[in-house]
Amino acid sequence: MELLRPSSVDELDGGLFIHGGTEVVPLLRDGIVRAETLVDVRGVVPRGVTGGRIGAGTTLAELEADARVPDALREACRLAASPQLRNMSSLGGNLLQSTRCWYWRLKFPCRLHDGERCHAADGEHREHAIFGNDYCASAHPSDVAAALLALDGRVRTTRREIALAELYRLPDEADRRMTTLEPGELILEVEVQPPAASTYLKAMDRKRWSFPQVGVAAARTGGGTRIALAGVAPVPWLLDGPEDVERATPLPRTAWKVDVARALVRRALAELG
Amino acid sequence: MKLVINGDEHEVDAPVGASLAAVLRERLGLTGTKIACNEGHCGACTVMIDGVPVLSCITLAHSVEGEVTTIEGLRDHPLVDAFVRADAVQCGFCTPGQVVSAAALVAARPTPTEEEIRHAMAGNICRCGTYPKIEEAILHWRD
Ligand SMILES: Cc1cc2nc3c(=O)[nH]c(=O)nc-3n(C[C@H](O)[C@H](O)[C@H](O)COP(=O)(O)OP(=O)(O)OC[C@H]3O[C@@H](n4cnc5c(N)ncnc54)[C@H](O)[C@@H]3O)c2cc1C
Ligand code: SF4
Ligand code: FES
Ligand code: FES
Repeated sequence: MELLRPSSVDELDGGLFIHGGTEVVPLLRDGIVRAETLVDVRGVVPRGVTGGRIGAGTTLAELEADARVPDALREACRLAASPQLRNMSSLGGNLLQSTRCWYWRLKFPCRLHDGERCHAADGEHREHAIFGNDYCASAHPSDVAAALLALDGRVRTTRREIALAELYRLPDEADRRMTTLEPGELILEVEVQPPAASTYLKAMDRKRWSFPQVGVAAARTGGGTRIALAGVAPVPWLLDGPEDVERATPLPRTAWKVDVARALVRRALAELG
Repeated sequence: MKLVINGDEHEVDAPVGASLAAVLRERLGLTGTKIACNEGHCGACTVMIDGVPVLSCITLAHSVEGEVTTIEGLRDHPLVDAFVRADAVQCGFCTPGQVVSAAALVAARPTPTEEEIRHAMAGNICRCGTYPKIEEAILHWRD
């Protein structure tokens, strides 16, 4: 394996991108991803906050401490992972993290590994999805993505600018990918307009330092209130409104997440006033 | 690859993909840094890069640009005595990582509150449950 360190976008030419490596390094070690060439993108991806524009290389620790960042995003970063991980984790890498589904991480030949069945659907799935779960029942682990979805963030890449929602797709039989990013496409920046008010609430299996069981982000702007959830679907999940929680399709052992989501949505909206 | 560790420069030969933790322990004999989970969950392998705590088990050695501080570099830090005074050690396996995280915390906030301690130390798991004593050690690190 070789490690390249380009200093400009023009030098990019294939390989596996690595920023903080908190996701890439364990996946490489476990043989879930493979690469001949690693491309350290820290010299290419912008870092820092300018107005509503956030460099994709900004760490979660930096976002957590920056008063210019909308509350929902700041709180999502503060409650994500552990201090050391937040020091290492880039915003871009966070948006592109893979599922924590234990079958997938343990390399069961499930649909996301191009196999034929979802092992979680008829196996252990207490932590799995309650929406969009009929093909793959994994639960998207990013607090940060849910916050940005509620904030209606936009993503600028080396090729285009899209709404954050368009970065994600539900996998299906024909195409198992969970993002719409093309090979070699790099996320450069995320843009968010300041909301009138926003918040992020997170249920965890312990008080600190845990993936979201259910995360609820809510943001109020002139155009209304957007509510987005983490940990409930294979991708970050936007609700049409609070009553949308009732349209969940839980698995036999994920119905509890519907109750948690309902409660957190109610609390989040109360907080926004 | 060149690494600056605790102020000393080292020329190291290791394949790309080697973690900083493995290089510290196996190539440089700096075995104070522990590896427990080896996947970013426990904090046993915490070191600082330019004063910022990171997990050396999931840091690629070849991607390190700044100066590394390991527990060996904190030998004379008052926190070490504070941990002993508070009896904040049981099996001791998590302790080097705890001290590194605590050293970064007190450098940024010399008189941290309990809440600040809990937030900053949340990434260091102690299987033996010495948390109350660790908190005590950090609250009284300069006594
Ligand atoms: C133990 C653990 C606990 C965690 N807990 C939480 C949690 O509670 N909540 C939460 O939200 N997250 C959590 N995370 C996720 C963590 O925040 C992400 O792993 C991290 O943000 C990834 O950023 P990175 O820079 O390390 O990415 P890397 O590991 O370097 O990269 C991750 C992926 O993104 C790609 N990539 C990186 N940067 C770019 C870019 N700019 N453009 C295109 N592709 C890119 C890489 O090729 C790779 O596929 C946890 C992670 C771990 C390991
Ligand atoms: S939930 Fe998705 S990742 Fe997990 S076993 Fe099913 S198909 Fe695989
Ligand atoms: S050994 Fe690195 S986090 Fe556990
Ligand atoms: S003292 Fe044993 S793990 Fe912390």
